[in-house]
Formats: sequence, structure tokens, C-alpha cells
Amino acid sequence: MSIDSSSGDRTVSGGVVDDPILEISDTSVTYNDGETYVLDNVDVSIDRREVLGIVGESGSGKSMFASALLDAVPDPGVLTGEISYHREDGSTVDVLELSDEELRQFRWEEVSMVFQGAMSSFNPTMKIGTHFAETLKTHDKNVSEGLDFARGLLENLYLEPDRVLDSYPHELSGGMQQRALIALSMVLNPEVLVMDEPTAALDLLMQRSILQLLDSLQAEYDLTIVFITHDLPLVASLADRMAIIYAFQFAEIGPRDEIIGDSAHPYTRALLNATPNLDAPLGEMQPIEGEGPAPVNVPSGCRFHPRCPLATEKCRTVDPPLTVLEGFDSEHRAACHHWKEAREEISLNFGETKEWFEAGEPAEGPDQLPSGQGADAKGSPLLSLDDVEVHFTKEQGLIERFSSDPDAVRAVDGVSLDIQEQDLVCLLGESGCGKTTLGKTMIGLQRPTGGSIEYRGRDVWDADASDSDISDEAIRSALQIIHQDPGSALNPNRRIVDILSEPLRHTHPNISTNERRSRIYSLLERVGITPPDDFMDRYPHQLSGGEKQRVVLARALLMNPDAILADEAISAVDVSLRIEIMDLMLELQSEFDTSFLFISHDLSNARYFAEHGNGRIAVMYLGEIVEIGSPERLIHDPRHPYTEVLRWATPNLEIDAMEAEDPPIREIDVPDPVDPPSGCRFHTRCPVAREACRKEHPDLRELADADGKAACFREDPTHDYWDSEPLEGAERQPY
Amino acid sequence: MATETDASEEIDWRSDASSAEMSPRERVRELYRRWIYEPAVIAWSDGRTRIGILILSVYVLMALVELLGLWREPSTNQAGRLLTPFESMQYPLGTTQSGVDLLALIIDSTPFILLMVLAGGVWATGIAVVVGTVSGYKGGTVDTVITSISDFFMAIPGLPLVIVLALAFSPENPIFLGVILTINYWAGLGRSIRSQVLSIREASYIEAARTMGTSTPRILLKDVLPNLMPYVMVNFVLAARYTIFASVGLYFIGVLPYSGQNWGVTLNNAYNQGGLFTMQAFHWLLVPIVAIVGLTFGLILVSQGLDRVFNPQVRTRLTGESESIEEESDTTTTGMM
Repeated sequence: MSIDSSSGDRTVSGGVVDDPILEISDTSVTYNDGETYVLDNVDVSIDRREVLGIVGESGSGKSMFASALLDAVPDPGVLTGEISYHREDGSTVDVLELSDEELRQFRWEEVSMVFQGAMSSFNPTMKIGTHFAETLKTHDKNVSEGLDFARGLLENLYLEPDRVLDSYPHELSGGMQQRALIALSMVLNPEVLVMDEPTAALDLLMQRSILQLLDSLQAEYDLTIVFITHDLPLVASLADRMAIIYAFQFAEIGPRDEIIGDSAHPYTRALLNATPNLDAPLGEMQPIEGEGPAPVNVPSGCRFHPRCPLATEKCRTVDPPLTVLEGFDSEHRAACHHWKEAREEISLNFGETKEWFEAGEPAEGPDQLPSGQGADAKGSPLLSLDDVEVHFTKEQGLIERFSSDPDAVRAVDGVSLDIQEQDLVCLLGESGCGKTTLGKTMIGLQRPTGGSIEYRGRDVWDADASDSDISDEAIRSALQIIHQDPGSALNPNRRIVDILSEPLRHTHPNISTNERRSRIYSLLERVGITPPDDFMDRYPHQLSGGEKQRVVLARALLMNPDAILADEAISAVDVSLRIEIMDLMLELQSEFDTSFLFISHDLSNARYFAEHGNGRIAVMYLGEIVEIGSPERLIHDPRHPYTEVLRWATPNLEIDAMEAEDPPIREIDVPDPVDPPSGCRFHTRCPVAREACRKEHPDLRELADADGKAACFREDPTHDYWDSEPLEGAERQPY
Repeated sequence: MATETDASEEIDWRSDASSAEMSPRERVRELYRRWIYEPAVIAWSDGRTRIGILILSVYVLMALVELLGLWREPSTNQAGRLLTPFESMQYPLGTTQSGVDLLALIIDSTPFILLMVLAGGVWATGIAVVVGTVSGYKGGTVDTVITSISDFFMAIPGLPLVIVLALAFSPENPIFLGVILTINYWAGLGRSIRSQVLSIREASYIEAARTMGTSTPRILLKDVLPNLMPYVMVNFVLAARYTIFASVGLYFIGVLPYSGQNWGVTLNNAYNQGGLFTMQAFHWLLVPIVAIVGLTFGLILVSQGLDRVFNPQVRTRLTGESESIEEESDTTTTGMM
């Protein structure tokens, strides 16, 4: 996977692309008889065998660009302009002039597309192999030859070809399905692969692994890849060139290193600064104010001017063209009048202070954690989990019921954790590791199958509450939740004022309607929904994603809770707004005196949240907490190999560090939680696993020389581990 | 409430909220807008619904005419025999063989039919909604018991059951008759509502409501039911239609008792007097058929539009409230094969 070293040579040096495979000029997509532009005069060339990363917020027209490349714009959109495709042999095809039959062949054989949701791209009633055979048949290809080619592809994607081809889609995990989908789109050996958020539904670790695989596939099969995503750091590690799309136009396009390190457009710079990452000092991460425009009311002049700190009168009236910047001989183009000022005034926040942790900028760092370690002595905890287990039993047939033990999915297995008043804990892990189940168990939504949860000393599931002065209702209203998807967390049929009245009915049953309204009014204002008057009578569909999430937050706060579970609460929100929402949650935490349980699969978000709130991060793997500690220690001195893996998986904007090395794991896929590995559950993927790890299960133990706990034998210098043999594929010398 | 939470209530977000106050007058206006004005605007905006409403109002008008006694009562030999429609403007729809004014016949039984249809629809959908939402939402033992009971009712053949009940009770009260006709209609409907609830109960907002400690009836009423309303309304109309058809059918075969004539009985008489075979008596058959088909057609057209009344997106667009946020859906272009 080291082909990236050659990527510098592939990047074009001249003013124009040397050998374009796709040339898109003056291409627009319009709706409403040309009134509404969802892609506005795009002019871009794609070089043969390059990886072009296209980054944009949701609703910026980036998916429309992908559809336009294949002339597959959904009705009633109208595609105008010119898209030419240059074959290897020098002949040129005008994509928009193709007949239906030619278009059918052009798609998939020349240009192929990978969509976001693998789960909905496969037909659930057909085996994966049938999908491959059907595709080959439809395109009049030899099926058995094609399937051999597919086997090779699957193998390159770290899948077992025979097993995968013979399974139904539901039998594969999300990451496996997505990889099978990539293989399917490549089965006709296309020249160009257009990928529209192909990894958005997956974990970071899986995303990064797939990107690594794409990198090698690209070299092996001579592919041109157009990778469309909202996640700038993710694609940065793969792309040769990058394009930033804003409000249906390209804002900036250029070689990757220049976009990241020396970008000219204020939007690019703001986007880079708004991206949570592991190395930037926290204080300098800034959200971008406002939201991207809707296609019906695109601002005049430069589209970014309402959100731009450098906007002048000229920006409001004259739309800047996407031009080659002077002083650059490469083809770095940006659409901004003030790109020179932008480079001077908006400094990029990463890369400058890499040594901040060592330099001791947060000098008071680990010593001053009120939660973390010292908090254990602070009297009785708010919530106390003792050896909690949640096992889900699978439905069994009549015969199996007599013959075998039921298959149990061990979603949570023996977790003990204390949460203090005003505490902040981030649960971090891959999907399926049980973090949501653990979270729901903590706030009493899921009944544990073993162990106990105590709220201020009272067992939450103890039906007989006579000996305690805390009633069931009090516990219920003290523990609230914020869901992942704000879209489904609000009843689409109720107005905001009705939705927010509901919690007040519980906390203050006797107040008048007017009092209720005024409380809602002021809280809406507090969470940043202004003016509240406009929003009170709206339905949820009239709110943007960020606004919905604020309403959800307000609803939880109106219950006056002691602890709020935020279940991936920001992953559905646009990147530029994430920091804003996290800041809001942190501010309100101290104001409302609550604790937060923040669930995330993204180390950089968890780090931002935990570090600002002086909290802890708990890393989960297959139902167990494998490491817990302060974010500073966890990121810069991870003790469990799995934490190190997660750290690797977190995208980084450092150009030197971007050429990522191989992942520090031996297997990409997570083992089946029905039958977890013996001993240490991570031993099947751990790069430093030894024989001892297979036999013995490590307990979570206090670290001797740092804060927090970790469950790894390597923390015990006297353990048998050091004398046993490394497992197959594992390193002999770990350090 | 635990004591220390009271302290946090007093923080400053409570203050400066004067503009949120609503006077009782404003509140009445708000209620009017929400429950009468907006649904009316939406229903009227759709062409089909508008026609449906017009058709139904003709029937309501006929019922009013009957209740206020504005048209003559039907009686034998009040006019010449087998007058064809529009032969005499005094008897616009013609007369029967015994010289009864057909228009008077139709008008006479309109209130009876409307009442019966309403009773049948309300009973069938009402029971089905209660049964379906409770069993779907509660799950577990409650679900098993309710489902088993409705399975039992579904297994009873409907028509023979209704015939037996009709013979046993001889219902002459329209409401009672409507209930009898749809006596086991709820079972199948309840089952399909249950399956709708099964998917709604997984929504995050239901979990959020549970987390707040909202009671089950309130969750069902406020969070589950509004999302079911389009479906329930369509099924209300289907149940109403079933009631008309069942009653007409049973009157036609003479199972149901009748004191006067009504649409079904007229149909039966016309058939027996050879309305199907002679052109002279054909209008006698046609008039009740048109009355029945018209009512059903009107109901179906209205139900199409009620679907939109309960859709918040249509609601906000048509009543000219603040603009929607256009969320460009990440359109996936499938079907590349």
C-alpha cells in the first residue's frame, strides 16, 4: 500500500490536465424550468488515473455532480452543458449525446458508481454472487470469467470470495457489504469509479481501512477515482487532487497538498479550521457561522459572502470566477476576490502546534481533572454500574430449544463504571461494540441481564422502592437522552411548542399555558434558536438539521435531568456545525448542572468534548471497556493496542502524516459478538498479541504511571505475556 | 422532583419572555386556525377532494330536506305508474310501478343510510385503532392475547355471522344496524394498524417520550395516532363503503327487516318487477344504484384528500406559513443495470 509515494508524480504540473479522462464544461443541473440551479456552470477536468476528492456540506450539490457524470440526473432535473469522456485509445465520447443503449453500456463498463448505502443497494432476496452474475449477463459478458475476476477483486478487498459470493446481503456486516459493493461496481473493469459517500455509514476504522484498500485497488486496476464526501480529512489521505464544492459551484480545486496546506478560498480555510482533529489546539477550532444556502435562494455575487469574514461590497455583487491563481504554476484554481487576504488573515490551526501536548500548553492537564481519578473520592456517584451485563438471546426454533444453549449476543459484558455529578464520559468504539446498549442501560432504558445500576445509591431496576426516598418517576426524569438522528427524534406531526411542552407537563404539571410558553421561549433563545417566535409554531420539517438537534437538546434540558445520554448526537449534523453544537452542550452542562454520557465512534469528536468538559474517554471493544482515561493521556499515550488503532483511524490533516502507514491491526472485520474470541477479545486483531492473550482474559486495571485504567497484559511487567510466543502475524518486538 | 433540581429552575433563562404570552382570545383564534381553517384550506385545494365534498354535501342536503319535511313523503299511487325521469317535472326521477315518487323514496331513507354508514365506520375503525395501537405498542403478552382474539374474529365468516345476527336481533335502529354490519370488520383492520404501529414505536421520538416518563395512553394519542391518521381515515371510508354495500345487499336479499322502503329495498322491488328486462322499469333500478354509487364515490374522493390534511408538509405549504427548509435529498440514481 505504498503506491502513494508515486502520487506526487501523477499530479499534473502544467496549467491544464495532461491526459483528461473526463472533461466537464459549463455543466448545470436545473429544476423548475431552469429557475433553480442545483449544479451551476461547473467546469472541471478529471485526469486519467488520478484520485479526485470532492468535498462539500450536505445539500451543496455534490451528489448531483456524481449523477451528472453518468448523465443520470433524476427527473425532473435538466442537465445541460458538455461532458466528454476520452477513451484510452484516444476516441472521445460525448456523454450527453449517447443513446439509451449506449448510455447503458457506458455506465458500469466505462464509468461506474458506488453509492452510500450498501444495505439498500443490494437486493435482500438475492445472493451476492447472483448480483455479480446478473450484472455480467446484462452487459453480455462471460459470466464465469467475470466471476473469476470478481474473486480476485474480493480477495484484494480482504474478503473470502467464496463465502461472500454465497451469502445473502444480511449475512455480511456493513463494512463487508460496502466492500462487496465496491467489487460489484468494478466487476466490468471500468476506467472511472465515481464514489458518492461510499463510507459515510461506516465506522472510522472501517472507513480508513476501505480507503487503504481503494488506494491499492487504484494502482492495481489503473482506476480513475472520483471520491465524493463531506469528510475533508478522510479523503485527504487518498486524493491526488481535491475540489471543494459550495452552494452548487466549485469554490476551489487544486493539488491535495496545496488545498490542505495553502488553500486560497476562505470557505476551504474555514472548513479546515472547523474540522475536529487530534492535533490542533482546542481553542482554535471554530465553527463556520450560518448554513449553506438552499437552491431556491442562492445569494447574489459570491455565494459564500453571507458567511465569509472577509466579504466586501464587491463580493456581494460580483460572482468571482474560478480562476488559476497567480503565483501558482500548477492548476490550483479558486473562486474568490480576496484570496490573498484570506491566506493572510485566516490562519490554519493545525500543524503549527503539534508539540502542544509535550510543550505543556494545558499545563494543568492531568493533575487538575475534577472527574477522572480524583472524583472517585468525591462521595457517592450519581450513577454506579457494577458488573453490568446485557445479553440478547436470539429467537430459537422448537428443536434447538431442547438441544442447545441459546445463542446470546453479549452486547455488554461485565462493565463497571461510576459517573459523578456533573461528570462527562465519552464512550468510544466501533459500531456493534455495545456502546449504545451500555448507554441505554445507564439511563435505565435497557434492562441489564446481570449486574446492577444504582442511581444515587438506589437500584434503578429494584421494583420495591419503599426503603428509598427516590421515586421511580424521579429517576425516570433525571436520566434523559439525545438521539443520533434529530430527524426522527421529533414527531413530524407536532409543532415545536407542543413537543417542548411535553417535558414541562412532567416537571411542572401545574403551571399555566402562558408560563409554559415563556419558559420554552427563553430556553429556545438560550440554545440559539432565534427569534423563538418564528420557530414555536413550526413543524420539525421546517427546521434544519442543526436547529432540530438544538430543539432535541432543549427538550432534554426541560426535564431538569441529572444525566443526559448523547447517542452519536452530532454525527448527523453537518461538519461545520459540529463544534458549535458540542460547545453549546458543554455550556449548558454547567448551567443546568447535568452529567453527559457522550457516545461516539470518532476519537476527534470525543476528544474535543471530553477535553473541554474535563471528562474521561472510555474505549469499548466487543462489550467491554478496554481502556479509560483522560483524553490527553489516551491520545498521546494510549496503553491498549485497540486505542492505538482508533487513533490511527482518526483522519489527520498533517500533510506529512497523511501518507498513512498500514493499519496496526491484523484483521479488518470485527469478530462475531455471538461467539467472541477467548481470552483477550482483541487478540484476533491485535498487532502485538501473544499466546497468553488467547488463553487469559485481562482485567481492567489501574495504570501504574498515568491516570485511567486499561485492560492489557502489557501493563503488567511481570505477566506471562512477555514470555509467550507472538501469535501468527503479530509483531515479535512490540516497542 | 429531587430537591436540588429546583435551584436550577430559577436561573435566568426564565426571564424576558413577555412576547411569548398569549391572551385567551388569541388562543381561541389559534385553535380555530389549527383545527378548522387549515384543514379546510388543504381539503379544498385538491380537485378530487373538492368534488368529493360537493357530492357528500348533496347527500347531507337531502337528509336535511327529509328532516325538515321539505319534500313529499313517499306513498303509493301519489302519481302515475312508471313515469320515466323528467317526464313530469313534478316527479323528476320518475315513479315506481305502484306510483311512488322515486325522489321521495331516495330522500326519505337518506338520514337512515347516512347514520348507519357513520355508525359502521366509527365502530369498525374505532375498535380497530384501539386494538391495533395497544397491541402493537405494548407487545408481549398483551399483544399475544389481543392478536389471538382478533385472529378468532377473523376466522368467523363475516356474511353468515351478520345474517344470523340480523335475523336474531331484527335491527331497525340505523346505529345498531351499522354496528351489526361491521361486527367483525375491526379484526383485520386492527391487525394492519398493529403492523404500522410496530414500525412507529421504534422511532426515536417514541423512545424520547418514554424517557420523559410520558404515560402510555398519552404516547399513543399524541405520538402514535397522528402518524396513523392518513391510514385510519382511508380505512374509515373503506369501512363506511363496506357498510353501505352490506346493508344494500342484505336488504336486497331480504334478510334485514324494514318498515318503509329504502335504497336496498327499492332495488329489490325494481328487480322483482323486471327492471332489468324492460326498459320501462329500468329507471326504477337505476335511481337507487346511482344513489349508492354516488355516496361511495364521494366518500372515496374525500378520503384521498384527508391524507393530505394530516401531512404537516402539505399543511405548512398550503396555509402559507413560513417556508420549509428545502433539504436536497441525496438523490441516489439506482437502476444502472
